[in-house]
Amino acid sequence: MGLRTVEIFLGPQHPGAPGNVAFKLTLDGERVVDAEVVPGYLHRGFEKLMEYRWWEVNVVMAPRFCVEDPDNFELAYVLAVENLYGIEVPEKAKYVRTIIAEMSRIQSHLFWLLFMGAAVGARYIPSWAMAAREEILKWYDYITGHRIYHHYLVPGGIRWNIPRDFRERTLKVLKFVNKIVDDIKKALYENKIFIARTRGIGILKPQDAIRLSATGPVLRGSGVRYDVRKVDPYEAYDEVEFNIPVGEYGDTYDRCLVRLKEIYESMNIIRQLLDKVEKLIDDKHYRYKIPLVAPPGEGIGRVESARGEYIVHITSTGGQTPYRIRLRTPSMPHLTTVIKHIVKNEEVTIADFPIIVKSLDPCAPDLDR
Amino acid sequence: MTNNVLEELKASIPKELVEEIRLSKAKSNIVEIVIKPENLRKIALHLRNLGFNYFIGIETIDWWKKDNTFELIYMFSSIERNGQLVFVRFKIPRDNPVVDSIHDIFPLAYYQEIENYEFFGVVFRNHGGLRKWILEGNWDGPPPLRKDFDSRKWVLEKYYGGKRYERPI
Repeated sequence: MGLRTVEIFLGPQHPGAPGNVAFKLTLDGERVVDAEVVPGYLHRGFEKLMEYRWWEVNVVMAPRFCVEDPDNFELAYVLAVENLYGIEVPEKAKYVRTIIAEMSRIQSHLFWLLFMGAAVGARYIPSWAMAAREEILKWYDYITGHRIYHHYLVPGGIRWNIPRDFRERTLKVLKFVNKIVDDIKKALYENKIFIARTRGIGILKPQDAIRLSATGPVLRGSGVRYDVRKVDPYEAYDEVEFNIPVGEYGDTYDRCLVRLKEIYESMNIIRQLLDKVEKLIDDKHYRYKIPLVAPPGEGIGRVESARGEYIVHITSTGGQTPYRIRLRTPSMPHLTTVIKHIVKNEEVTIADFPIIVKSLDPCAPDLDR
Repeated sequence: MTNNVLEELKASIPKELVEEIRLSKAKSNIVEIVIKPENLRKIALHLRNLGFNYFIGIETIDWWKKDNTFELIYMFSSIERNGQLVFVRFKIPRDNPVVDSIHDIFPLAYYQEIENYEFFGVVFRNHGGLRKWILEGNWDGPPPLRKDFDSRKWVLEKYYGGKRYERPI
């Protein structure tokens, strides 16, 4: 150490950096001894911007700080507003919203497979994952009218009714995605090189994961069976059956495996809900209009997004706009405390660093907001 | 479940440290503890020992016009108690916003405190690393999330020469 350490700057344009975020790495030879995240490349001040906008207009802002998983972020905001207004949404909207949120989880995990495949040099994985994600985006386009940010979940329900062939369209997409995910499972998860590069590196023990506030698949990859969908069910999650996949060793491979299993679980949830939606296909009640002025008070929305626990806390003083809105996003612990802990506790080389960072699946814009 | 936690917290936390322990008005499965700011570290240690060892975040609310204070909300959760949320709330004066740091108890608090420092100007005692972090290199104004700072007016003055759509305001 001492004279031998070198400081280098990794990102934000580097292919090894996870999006719009940089790292200040301290290197001792090839080993990374410290990693300090440098955020702020995509800061847009959402918490302030949302204070100037009407309750319903903020739905447009709500998904925009995470391109990869927009609907879960939208859902948390919408749940917080409904909590503040004290309204229950119609049954049909509840089921459809759960399907939309689960589809968002699948496409987020597929998007992550793109980065993970690229990081380990499996060049075929990105194109396969994007082919599957493209089908989901087309499905979103058909249901909601938008591909990336949908603004489909609104306080009080869903923006418009679902088409009559909702079930067939969704099942068709799931069939297509299922096939590709099966292929990815064989081609990547059973690949010797992938296993060699991910097994046993980036280990995070369960008690450390809790202490460092890791969340989502990172926490579950460490073997902690914790999921907000189970412990504090929102929407229709208490009416469906699903498992919480957890890892055994808490290493990079386990985190990857948890995400793959979650894709299957999400497809399972959607299939269960499609039958319930089909029964309500003629139901015209899908949305309540909310008044422009909110009652004074507080609202809390808590969801399990693709990256982990996400909490929206709204404070209202009884106006047309929020007084204060706090977005507690899931990526911050992964990019700060968790990555620092990993590089300090084991020998991480500069070649392994991008793989470990990508296995944490950070979304830099949601750290910046 | 939540009521049991409420009773347990009422029984185990010394009375002199808290002002009130109640259920949240927004959501009935969240316990809120109202304290005095000087007791924050003791409460944080108590909660950690009671199993609320999963730190979520810090929120600041600027009550500028109401009573000229900052309200801080610390969010804790417990994985062994099925994700039970506990909010610790207190108010500090807006003119002298200083509060103890808890980053040695909960590592994530280090970064949450930096965030609250740069966006609100809340100073965390014994933190040792307060700086501009997310705003580094692209902000030289006052703490932007404070209520007395009008970002729209600031943008017009800074970037558009005090005009809106090229007309004076």
